[in-house]
Amino acid sequence: MSALPRILIVASALLATLTASAAAEPLRIPVLVPITGFLALEGTSQRNGAELALRGSGIAFDVDDTATSPEIAVNAFERALTSGRNREDVIAVVAPMLGTQMLALVPLADEFSVPMITVSGTARITELGSPNVFRFFPGDVVVKAAHARYAVEERGAKRPAVIFQTTAYGQSGRAELDRNLAALGRPAVFAEGLDVSVKDMLPVLSKVRDSGADALLLHLHSGPTALIVRQARAMGLDIPIIAGSAMHQPETAALLTPAELAGVCAESGASPISETDPATRAFADAYRAAFDREPDAFALGQYDGVQMLRAAIRAGANSAADIRAYLAARRYRGLAMTYASDGKGNMAHSAVILCYSGDSRVPAIVKRYENLTGIL
Amino acid sequence: MLGAQLALNAVALGAAYALVAIGFVLVLNATTAVNFAHGESVVAGGFAAVAMTAALAMLLPAGSAIPGIVLLPGVLVLTALLGLAIAALAYLPIRNRPPVSVFVTTIAFGIIVTNGLNAAFGAAPRAAPALLGTGTIDFLGVTASRQSLAIIATAALLIGALAFVLQRTQLGRQFRACAQDPEMARALGIRLTRITLLAFALGTAFAGAAGLLLAHQFFVTPSDGAGLILKAYIAVVIGGWGSLRGATIGAMLIAVFEVGVASVSSQPLAEGLLYVAVLLVLLVRPDGIFGEPQRLRA
Repeated sequence: MSALPRILIVASALLATLTASAAAEPLRIPVLVPITGFLALEGTSQRNGAELALRGSGIAFDVDDTATSPEIAVNAFERALTSGRNREDVIAVVAPMLGTQMLALVPLADEFSVPMITVSGTARITELGSPNVFRFFPGDVVVKAAHARYAVEERGAKRPAVIFQTTAYGQSGRAELDRNLAALGRPAVFAEGLDVSVKDMLPVLSKVRDSGADALLLHLHSGPTALIVRQARAMGLDIPIIAGSAMHQPETAALLTPAELAGVCAESGASPISETDPATRAFADAYRAAFDREPDAFALGQYDGVQMLRAAIRAGANSAADIRAYLAARRYRGLAMTYASDGKGNMAHSAVILCYSGDSRVPAIVKRYENLTGIL
Repeated sequence: MLGAQLALNAVALGAAYALVAIGFVLVLNATTAVNFAHGESVVAGGFAAVAMTAALAMLLPAGSAIPGIVLLPGVLVLTALLGLAIAALAYLPIRNRPPVSVFVTTIAFGIIVTNGLNAAFGAAPRAAPALLGTGTIDFLGVTASRQSLAIIATAALLIGALAFVLQRTQLGRQFRACAQDPEMARALGIRLTRITLLAFALGTAFAGAAGLLLAHQFFVTPSDGAGLILKAYIAVVIGGWGSLRGATIGAMLIAVFEVGVASVSSQPLAEGLLYVAVLLVLLVRPDGIFGEPQRLRA
């Protein structure tokens, strides 16, 4: 046999091997989340929720920290899709919950035509006309409607005060709170923004008291929420406190005594440690066993998002286009709620209100607001 | 009474910031190095207290209260060791390079500390025990938390002790000599490296004490360091490079803006006005309120 046929045979064998190994590559879902920086607490929950849903699924996943800057998120996204592997294997991306990072990633997701599943609350990410954004956590449009309605309709607030964070997260929530309170005929009598580094809350709380407010609505991150609640108790501010979703996080409650928590309420997409149904309790137990911490709504939302994606794969989806089509058109019953896209990628349309009794750091769900957008 | 209450809160917050700032000044005084890992050293002090509390809780009967004063010596030792590590790894190898090199190495060290704490403790805010117990004391209509009073007393004690050492002892003169003219100090027999290590150890121990005090009152997270170093830097700029008294006044001024000015305007406006005040101070007194004549410092 001359050299040429032998070379052709070897080349054919190599090609067949390479093709076979390419075909054997598992589907991939890069998990890009902020696990360092100011959103690390929530980002870690997001990662854990995704990881718990992906374990044992046969889907390959790598976790990449996006920290707090859009540049790092963009680099992580590009690396995940172009790092020498077959790009077609990437059927979706678990994308960071930080709104500024999501805004930078949306054009990239459109360019690569890859769907992103996230728990970011920033309203704008689903207002860009992208077919690739799917949000599995109720956005501010949903949770702030529940927040305002509970304060006014259930607690009888006539003169609510609002304290919000000056970050993009805080301003987005404040705008929705303002809109909903005005629609309910109870506009805020006092509103002030706080930087995340503010330590002493007495100045702002004394202004709340001087305003004659009869309810205090918070939209703050974890540490500032606990500081406000503690200092409000210390100064004897005796009005209902209805906090944002940070207050539902077990880590926030852990900073306060049950006595300080007594009567404090919060909005959230869910509260897995408060639920009693067997499936959610099983999720909470598995989460505790895997990560040695309590689950929160961000973890559950991301878990549900990845589980819907796995449902798509079970239904035969094996490409990014298939996944996108499934997420956009189908309804999915998750642990926290039923999810369906509103045509913009907003999948979550329900919220809960939970309150602490003062006996423990586990809140009880006192009100459920289902299908606030009318999509389901 | 609200005014008195706000004043007390401002003094307590300013005292904690002053503890942060004087540790920064101590290193600056002895080495001319701007230690940008100082904020992370404060955070490390808070987490050292959290870790020691958890360790002691396993040894003591369930429900035993562990006061922060018991933890303070351990926190001081651990953060002093951290200071030695910062000096050995981020300063001494490059001390003859331009100041910007030290900026970069200490910033890098700080990032390593932040990420290490994040990996070890997680990202959630944590609280350390109160120094002498919780609760409040009412006096003439003003409610003072025991922790606020403990912060003020501890800061006064430590700052007073440091001022005494720097101004009245041979060691203090050696610190100042090393900062003013290291080569001459070496020629006179002062062991420069030893003084440098001591300055970093002491300065970082002060940061650790501040971390313990702040971590009860205001909680601590691994990413708090950047905000704290900014406050220390502003305090030192206002008060004057190298001035203990200036750093303390600068720290108090920051607290007055954060508590007092914020109570009559808004927090974002108060923050803006603080930076306007910094600019005015620099325009009128470029070396700060108690600044020494300008030298080649960063």
